[in-house]
Amino acid sequence: MPVQMLVRLVGSLLLLGFVSAAWGHDISAENAEFVMGLSGAAPGPFLYLGAKHMFTGYDHLLFLLGVIFFLYRPRDIVLYVTLFTVGHSITLLLGVLLGWQVNGHLVDAIIGLSIVYKAFENIKGFEAFLPWELNTRAAVFIFGLCHGLGLATKLQDSVQDGDGLLTNLLSFNIGVELGQLCALAAILLVLSSWRSRPSFQRQAFAVNTLLMGAGFVLFGYQITGFLLV
Amino acid sequence: MNDNQAPSKKPILLATIASMLIAATVLFVAVLPAEYGFDPLGTGEQLGLIGLSGSQVSALQQQPAKWRKDVIEFQLAPFEALEYKYHMLEDGALIFSWEAQEDVLFDLHSEADDKAVAEQSFAKGRQRSDNGVLRAPFTGIHGWYFQNRGLGDMTLRLTVAGFFDYSVEMTDGPTQRYEFE
Repeated sequence: MPVQMLVRLVGSLLLLGFVSAAWGHDISAENAEFVMGLSGAAPGPFLYLGAKHMFTGYDHLLFLLGVIFFLYRPRDIVLYVTLFTVGHSITLLLGVLLGWQVNGHLVDAIIGLSIVYKAFENIKGFEAFLPWELNTRAAVFIFGLCHGLGLATKLQDSVQDGDGLLTNLLSFNIGVELGQLCALAAILLVLSSWRSRPSFQRQAFAVNTLLMGAGFVLFGYQITGFLLV
Repeated sequence: MNDNQAPSKKPILLATIASMLIAATVLFVAVLPAEYGFDPLGTGEQLGLIGLSGSQVSALQQQPAKWRKDVIEFQLAPFEALEYKYHMLEDGALIFSWEAQEDVLFDLHSEADDKAVAEQSFAKGRQRSDNGVLRAPFTGIHGWYFQNRGLGDMTLRLTVAGFFDYSVEMTDGPTQRYEFE
């Protein structure tokens, strides 16, 4: 299918491009310094920053991985990613515009738990232990809201009130979505080739266990930051 | 998911516990020592991660610059004065020793690069020699005001070893700056 091939091609190119950029989950010190020196609207830098932030934001990507892990139909992938996107866009925009003051560590700890949640669901944990069915779509949307708060706290330090705030914020948001698309393409690339193998079902359980472990590590790391600082 | 019965609970429970144990191990062995200096198991120190967190073992103090040495002699006419200071980052160490043939009025002090921070003076006096170790309280220039209080020309010899970047000499003329390799 030509669309799939295009996705793979674009994904590979952009993966190569972004991997060469500096790693960093927070906005890197140099970027932050540059951005703070800007006054007025600067759509270019903020667009790039948004994309880079999402592409190197391993907590957001791990959650996305968990979400699309067992989604096979393009329609489902689009649905869940859209739910996540709408969720994080709402809180990103409102959080920065309304100047919400949230503890970054606390939000990031919850983001860690979002990864635990999705991985646990992937190994059928809720199905085994809960008598009722969890509404995954609602959960992805709600956790999307949390991820957006995380994005907002990171951006708030760099963005100044006044001239160009809305432009910069929207550019950052669009950048986040572009970065997410690139990352998604890369993840789907790897995931679809892996899923076509017979060993996938067996390995999927182990990988989701590790994903849950990663979520717990993130949670522990962030909650310690929250408690110590 | 078209199972007629709920999936088996035991493997899921075991997997969840395993993931928590893995996470706790990773956290306490590596992440918490490296990020926060929190090292109850002592693994951070063993693996050399504790230094990443910026916390110090008390006997050791990391230095932020290159080790350099300097030996310089000043000729001072009666009542002639000069200032000679080394630029160091905060916490930079300077081991010094100076001696002169005559009594010298001196003031060992630091001036911050940040003009908003006040000068600090550590030692003032009138003597022929002095030895010591100075730790820079802030990033800036650190060193001496020397004035020859004798009636004849004199030579003052200053020997230092430490973690400084460059030095400046201030006399009646323009300020001189000396670079080091």
